[in-house]
Amino acid sequence: MSEAPLLRFDSVGIHLGGREILSPTSFEVARGEFVCIIGPSGCGKTTLLRMAAGFLRPGCGVTLRHGKPVVGPSREVAFVFQDYGRALLPWRTVAGNISLALEAAGIAAAQRSERIARVLATVGLSEHATTFPAQLSGGMQQRVQIARCLAQEPELIMMDEPFGALDAMTREGLQDEISRLVRSTGLTVLFVTHDLEEAIYLSDRVIALRANPSAEKPSLAAMVEVKIPRPRDQLLTKEQPEFLRLRRELYRFLGHP
Amino acid sequence: MRAARTASSGRARAAIESLLVAAALLALWWFASHQQWLSKVFLPTPEATLESLLQGLVRGELSGFTLATLQRMLLGWLLASAIGVGLGALIGASSTARIWIAPTLEFLRPLPASALLPLAISLLGLSNGMVLAVVAFGAMWPVLLATVHGLVAVHVGLRQVATALQLSRSAFVFKIGLPNALPDILAGMRLSMTVSLIVAVVGEMIASQPGLGQAILLAARSFRASELFAGIVLLGGMGFLSNALLSVLEAAFLKWQRP
Amino acid sequence: MPPVLRPWVFPLLLLLLLEAAARWLVPGSDAIAPPSQALLAFGRALTASGDESVLQATRFTLISASLGLGLGAALGLVLGLLLGLSRRAASAAFLSIEVLRPVPSVALIPLAMLVFGFGYRMEFSVVAFATFWPLLILTQAAVRQVEPQLLEVARALGLSPWQRATQIMLPAMLPRLFIALRLGVSIALVVAVTVEIAANPGGMGYAMMIAQQSLAPDLMLAWLFWIGVVGYAINAATLRLQRSIARRMGEPAAEASP
Repeated sequence: MSEAPLLRFDSVGIHLGGREILSPTSFEVARGEFVCIIGPSGCGKTTLLRMAAGFLRPGCGVTLRHGKPVVGPSREVAFVFQDYGRALLPWRTVAGNISLALEAAGIAAAQRSERIARVLATVGLSEHATTFPAQLSGGMQQRVQIARCLAQEPELIMMDEPFGALDAMTREGLQDEISRLVRSTGLTVLFVTHDLEEAIYLSDRVIALRANPSAEKPSLAAMVEVKIPRPRDQLLTKEQPEFLRLRRELYRFLGHP
Repeated sequence: MRAARTASSGRARAAIESLLVAAALLALWWFASHQQWLSKVFLPTPEATLESLLQGLVRGELSGFTLATLQRMLLGWLLASAIGVGLGALIGASSTARIWIAPTLEFLRPLPASALLPLAISLLGLSNGMVLAVVAFGAMWPVLLATVHGLVAVHVGLRQVATALQLSRSAFVFKIGLPNALPDILAGMRLSMTVSLIVAVVGEMIASQPGLGQAILLAARSFRASELFAGIVLLGGMGFLSNALLSVLEAAFLKWQRP
Repeated sequence: MPPVLRPWVFPLLLLLLLEAAARWLVPGSDAIAPPSQALLAFGRALTASGDESVLQATRFTLISASLGLGLGAALGLVLGLLLGLSRRAASAAFLSIEVLRPVPSVALIPLAMLVFGFGYRMEFSVVAFATFWPLLILTQAAVRQVEPQLLEVARALGLSPWQRATQIMLPAMLPRLFIALRLGVSIALVVAVTVEIAANPGGMGYAMMIAQQSLAPDLMLAWLFWIGVVGYAINAATLRLQRSIARRMGEPAAEASP
């Protein structure tokens, strides 16, 4: 039985600042899929994500979630920003920041602490419940943001280059953590990155976008399935022939000449 | 093309709305004064104010007063800026001077410039020169402090360049320090202009020197509200123009900040 | 010399110079008095009562300044919030604000005198006018400078407008509001003393004028010094408050030169 797609982009396009950022693009995301979007700067990958999250209205076409048009942000859709420093409230502790999501959802105070504790345990930050964001490293701050998104108990998580500002080691650790999380919760993820290896490593499907689309060369350049079995390993997976093949195939879509 | 048109029509609409609000306030004044919500002794009608203003300017006395106050303010400000930058450069350039003197400067910063008027009266008597002296002295501090701050805040990278090039102390001050401090100095000069206007007006009031300050005080004492308001309008105009002048100066000197 | 004593060396030297000049260069002058005599005069004024009392005069100035600041800040905050939240309101108010703002507060002293006579009301109304404008402008800026990403977080989480205002905007604005308050405090004091010097028979400025007029240079100098001390102390206290708020709200302590 084929399930209806969770998310569907139906000829979604947009002009910004007088330029066509995204030509009409269509694709679907099924429940539980991990989809990565890659492309050179200016290809509109972040814009696409924001349209899917309801922050932006498409110039043409429509984004459908469960068959219904997306008109604005919803609690079912969590968004992880790249700039974690500016996405956390500096005056609240880690627990306080996570609580914000629950307060927004109208969860009663009595039930909040239990859910906060659960979500902190999931991301491994239980010891830092009373710490302030400024006292945490970049990777930990990003984990707080992810924890806050999990607290929303969303069905869909959007991530906008979430590990772009972190060092390589932290990035790899978080990549594995997010993979593990998604597998255990069955969340659907739409992940934007400019890191090709990260995209292949994390996803079930990679979508490559082009910059400066035209009639002959629309925004959607390629859509490739990643049939590498899970769980994946930072060292071993990246040596597999399938990984290397995908890497070679998608390399040119990153804007290399 | 369409985007540009909407932007300019949006600006036009904003300008019209702005005028409407100002006109509404003017109308409120007109209504309040004619309906005597406040006695005519306190709140003259806009027409009476305008009449006093025009008559005073045409007949000459108001224009004479305005010029006197303007002169005091500008002269004091120029002196203050020159001395302020000079002294500030001396203090700011020498780290020894800064260590020993800076705390005293911080203590003097919150002192109202007008508080020096009694002392000045004792020393110099009730004269024009006295008011000018206090204006200049009072208005000096914002510029001085800004200059010191601007010189101190030279980025350590620039200092290293200066050392590598073996710049002399004065070369450092003139080629790196002062240009670096220019935004701060201009901000200080703007503040200093506000202080000069205030001290000039207060000085005129208590030393009975001819000027707008004395004029409005006398008008209030004789219950001539329209003349009082005319004087306030002129002082507001002076404040506005001096600010505008400084904005132009800032824009000219700081062109490099906005390429 | 231990660093903690260094700030006092220069002023002490100046005071000694003044002492020497007052005693030997111009003894018996009506204008200059040795600081030592000023200190004695101040001591006398501390224990005096009525017009001469330090406590009374200081209290008068501080009360006028606080009342004026309270009024001016309250109005400035409310209007600043409105103009900060609505771009349209801000652009509509632009002309009126730019026309009214440059009026120097001292220009209103004769008007206040006319309407209220002498006393508290006249003084705090001028202080209110003077503190209203900077607070309006700074509050408006504080609203605009709320981290836009935080507002997006609010949208993403689906916060209600009330939650957005109380949990995101107000806390984010607090450090800048306290910087504005600090500026307001210093303006309030300066304007209050200026009003007293110019016209109002009350407070520290007036006491200093009286001392000068009665040819008591020692008392005048004492008052001048006392005004400086009070101003410095209050500004320093407000600065500490502002910095502790900035720390508490998770911001790097904003060091602002006024």
